[in-house]
Amino acid sequence: MTGNSRLMSFRVFPHLVVALAALALAQPALAHEQTGVAGGLASGLLHPLTGMDHLIAMVAVGIWGAQLGAPAIWVLPITFPLVMAFGGVLGVLRIPLPMPEVAIALSALVLGAAVAMRLRLPFAAAAAVVAVFAVFHGHAHGAELPGSANPLAYGAGFVVATGLLHLCGILIGTLTRWPAGGRLVQGLGVVIATLGGYFLMRSLGGVA
Amino acid sequence: MRCRFNRAWVTAAALLASVEAAEAHIVASRLGDFYTGALHPLTDLQDLILWAAMGVLAGSLGTSRGRWLVLLFPLGLLAGLVLNRAFGIVSAGPAANAVIILVLGLLLAAEARIPTALLCSIAFGLAVMRGAANAGDVGPETNQLLYAAGLVCAGYAAITLTMALTLAFRRAEVGTSMAWRGIAIRAVGGWIAAIGIMMVGLALAS
Repeated sequence: MTGNSRLMSFRVFPHLVVALAALALAQPALAHEQTGVAGGLASGLLHPLTGMDHLIAMVAVGIWGAQLGAPAIWVLPITFPLVMAFGGVLGVLRIPLPMPEVAIALSALVLGAAVAMRLRLPFAAAAAVVAVFAVFHGHAHGAELPGSANPLAYGAGFVVATGLLHLCGILIGTLTRWPAGGRLVQGLGVVIATLGGYFLMRSLGGVA
Repeated sequence: MRCRFNRAWVTAAALLASVEAAEAHIVASRLGDFYTGALHPLTDLQDLILWAAMGVLAGSLGTSRGRWLVLLFPLGLLAGLVLNRAFGIVSAGPAANAVIILVLGLLLAAEARIPTALLCSIAFGLAVMRGAANAGDVGPETNQLLYAAGLVCAGYAAITLTMALTLAFRRAEVGTSMAWRGIAIRAVGGWIAAIGIMMVGLALAS
């Protein structure tokens, strides 16, 4: 070892010792305990995001609202959570709905098809279609509310997550201002409808 | 060189020997109960949602209607706390809280222009309820004056800041093509009302 390299190793050594001491002092952060309010909020936020059928249907609602324009684009984010919460109450009260999984898959198929075809229904008819599906989506979320770590946090989490998915859909829908963007959005509608069809087949037992 | 090496060992040993729990929050000091009172509502999601909804509603109605709450809301919290400690009046149950969340959310979603007297009544009633609810954790060893001061200061800061933020958010849209801001506030109202509906359902189910 030359004189220079020995000198260098002596300079590094004290830092190494301090670094080792710092490592010895390290403790787990425990930032995410996933219990109580944190657990309830995390479960609620993730519930609409981890179910692909929920996720694509909610995004499709936002995109379709943007395609329909006013008043759907602003009535939708205000009223959808209310109708969905009504379905949530049915789920909390254990009032059964007919074939909920089929209805949720069907919602992705129908809403995706509406986006793909740029279907321009009268506002009342479009609102009725979305409201029926909102009840089924809310029912699925609400059924898990009583068993969650913190029901209020869970409810707040899934309402906020659903609202943010609508917002994503509306933002994607603004691409329709440009011709190429419009075609891209319609293509996305085809993808959503295809996925909805797959989930529908699976819920009916046609796909393993 | 040897001397520098020894100094590092001594530093490391001193660091290891001086390990203690971080006491960033001076709960053992004289002002501990003040912080307990101030932080107590901020650790309860019901308080957070109700206070925020009240502040956003007052802020969305404008300065002239909302300014009364700067005084009324903290006083209501104090009144609730005093009523609980002096007369044992307890806060209403979760169903009443859920109904208030629902009402505040619906008023926001509908962009209802309620009169000042009604706004003040709702805010004062809510503050009395939550003041009584927050008094539930006051123990015999708690300094009640410091706890009350903390709660009132938290209420004042929370309601004033929420109203100010809402006013600033709405004011920016005047004269511009930023009408989405009003819709955003109404959408938040829809979210709050939806939470209220489900909590009412849960209260009915349990």
